[in-house]
Amino acid sequence: MAEMWISMGPQHPMTHGLWTLKVKVDGETVVDTEPDLGYIHRGVEKICEARDFTQITTYCDRLCYASANTWSHSYIYAVEDLLEVEVPERAEYIRLIAVELQRIASHLMWLGAYGPDIGNLSVMVWCLREREMMMDLLQELGGSRMHYNFPRVGGVKRDLPHGFAQRARAKVSLFLDRIQEYEALFDESTIFLIRTQGVGYSKAEEMVNHGVSGPNLRAGGVNYDVRTAHPYSVYSELDWEPPVERPSIKGADCYDRYRIRVEEMRVSALMVLEALDKIPRGADTYHEPGDPAILAKAPSRAPEGTSGAHHFEDSRGESMFYLAGGGEGRGKMPYRASIRSPMFITIPYASKCMIGYKVADIPAIMGSFDPCIGETDR
Amino acid sequence: MDGDGQNYSVFNSRMLVDTVGDITDEALKASRIKDVIGVLVGRVFNWSQRKSLFPLHLGIKCCALEMAAAGASRFDAERFGVFFRSSPRQCDVLLVNGPISKKFADPIVRLWEQMPEPKWCIAMGECAISGGPYFQSYNVLEGVDTIIPVDVYIPGCPPRPEALIDGFDKLRQKIIRIGAVPDDAAPESNNPIIIGDV
Amino acid sequence: MGKVVSASNQKSAAESMASALSSMEGVDAEVSERKSGTSPRNIVSVDCSSENWRILAECMRVEHDVDYCSMITGIHWPEGSPDKNWEVIYHFMRMGVTDPPVIDGMVQPIIKDPTTLEGKEVPLEIEVRIAIPETRDPKVASVQDIWVGADWNEKETWDLVGIDFEGHVGMRRVLQPHETPVGFHPLQKQHKLRYHDFEEMYDDAQGFLRKPSDAGKIK
Repeated sequence: MAEMWISMGPQHPMTHGLWTLKVKVDGETVVDTEPDLGYIHRGVEKICEARDFTQITTYCDRLCYASANTWSHSYIYAVEDLLEVEVPERAEYIRLIAVELQRIASHLMWLGAYGPDIGNLSVMVWCLREREMMMDLLQELGGSRMHYNFPRVGGVKRDLPHGFAQRARAKVSLFLDRIQEYEALFDESTIFLIRTQGVGYSKAEEMVNHGVSGPNLRAGGVNYDVRTAHPYSVYSELDWEPPVERPSIKGADCYDRYRIRVEEMRVSALMVLEALDKIPRGADTYHEPGDPAILAKAPSRAPEGTSGAHHFEDSRGESMFYLAGGGEGRGKMPYRASIRSPMFITIPYASKCMIGYKVADIPAIMGSFDPCIGETDR
Repeated sequence: MDGDGQNYSVFNSRMLVDTVGDITDEALKASRIKDVIGVLVGRVFNWSQRKSLFPLHLGIKCCALEMAAAGASRFDAERFGVFFRSSPRQCDVLLVNGPISKKFADPIVRLWEQMPEPKWCIAMGECAISGGPYFQSYNVLEGVDTIIPVDVYIPGCPPRPEALIDGFDKLRQKIIRIGAVPDDAAPESNNPIIIGDV
Repeated sequence: MGKVVSASNQKSAAESMASALSSMEGVDAEVSERKSGTSPRNIVSVDCSSENWRILAECMRVEHDVDYCSMITGIHWPEGSPDKNWEVIYHFMRMGVTDPPVIDGMVQPIIKDPTTLEGKEVPLEIEVRIAIPETRDPKVASVQDIWVGADWNEKETWDLVGIDFEGHVGMRRVLQPHETPVGFHPLQKQHKLRYHDFEEMYDDAQGFLRKPSDAGKIK
């Protein structure tokens, strides 16, 4: 049987973003793959060299647009490392609430796009309905539906609004009930189980060597989470554990990666409820923007020779910013801003995972790794 | 009439159809019925075009999530006839929802050319209008209207799903106003996109 | 309370690794403490010369179990000192991840309590800086065969910054278009952003003089 290269993309309804996956097929079996990225390469790293530290936060939201808050927080922790700023504890709790709500929203978007890949079209409207609930909460916090520009160097831009705690508790509790609906829908669907179990095996050691982290790695049976291994923020004060899946002998398949994200949504929802209880000074007090309880004074210049870096647990893996100080404006702008995107490293690995399976398995495998091309192409 | 391959024994229906057609055409023109039919049919076509705009399933960047939210149950663009299709051959509207990088300039022009007439283009979000926050970038074109003629611009970063539905409404009003005039001239700027130039 | 790695274990593990690495030639390692949230982080910062990089990389992988290559950053310092004109910064992590064991035909997930980790099992962050003196074509040894995660990172660093990696198989453009002119690496400092000086932008701030491609046509 003759082998041929098929090009999936850049415009393709199932690639979760704008990239090309060139697939070499022998009949119906995938023999080789080659991903082709760069269709939305915007040169953010170069643009950041001409922006203030506060202005770059708006760019970081737009890196991975499905989970904007995690990226702007990832950047802000790196800036605080560079400028050596101490953040008040209440601000850390508010940041944690924002990040975990965003993680839920990101996983919902993934699930809403993964269902149609497998063929289950109704779960898309269900997940987007729940995502609207989370986006309402995030809109109250940040001001916009998608790109919030929420953290500031030294804290957050504003406090929890009046009544936020009550609305958040109601919506998150409702969401915890709704998760069971999704699980019922998928676990009782034979087609979903056939299409995802036994497909796309990946082993933990191989994943670490390739640079994969986050839920994809935890689906392989190892509880490695940047929030516990390199602790930051107030994750050590909440009572939680990262969920781990029990994979099959050959490794984690698509079903394990699906289950881990559903469990992560549950854990994040419980973390939000607990943080609302434990926040210092209570969740119902309100501080004006700029109050030292939520925003510490921070220097705006980073002298040459300094650098800041921070590993952060993004919805898709371990993300990191490296900032070198001493740029234009006598240090008001970074000399170099370098961004580590988990998906940039995972997509070549996911493309390797597809080899040996059928063409029809490609959307299942690719979707289960949760690609987001915005952060890949920067 | 007696060219090679002409078979006189077979009844030549094509000539009959042509002749009947010409006679009917002259009759309709003389009695002005042709104008009435033209106006009525044109209005019916215009109504069906604007009530069933099929955009292409193209998600470039963040505005694509708002496009997806517009198609979901809360904002529900499908009640306006907006239904996303995966193949450009079956679409009316090219909804550009993100910045166009130099690598994607060629594919998006190819998608535009694959779409059959009548077709329209909506530039959604700041990146598609003018390059957006990346207007200084070495890799982003300053707006999709440098390579594709745009009909409706929807500002916002990202525009809310209600704004997107309003943008479709503006496109509908434009279709009422101008009909569906095929645009058979190439875009004015024939400058090639030189990669490596800022 | 949530279970996280204890800071003191991490600090002692970092110190032991730094002292072990400092004993190598051309390598200077130290532990730097960063504050982040409620607990301090101790990371191992290593300064290495580009000739000794390959030996250091193999030592880190084999003896110290550094198994995860996070990011490779390239920086162009045209106005820096003559022996730091280019800089390559590697970020690694020691994750300590092994395949979960299979007992009685069932895979048992490894759920370690992070507070009990100590010694060689503690996760660590490692930052390696390599300064390259002034040259027209900066080069560093490639570590593509040691960590596969470095593969695409090296491609991206070459694509955007221009630092070549010796021994890298299959170097190509990954983020920029494939037809980008040879030698165009945008993150070098001589390439400026569009409208860098802002005058061109303010000449026509509202964009009245810029016309879309189909201006003047009846539409």
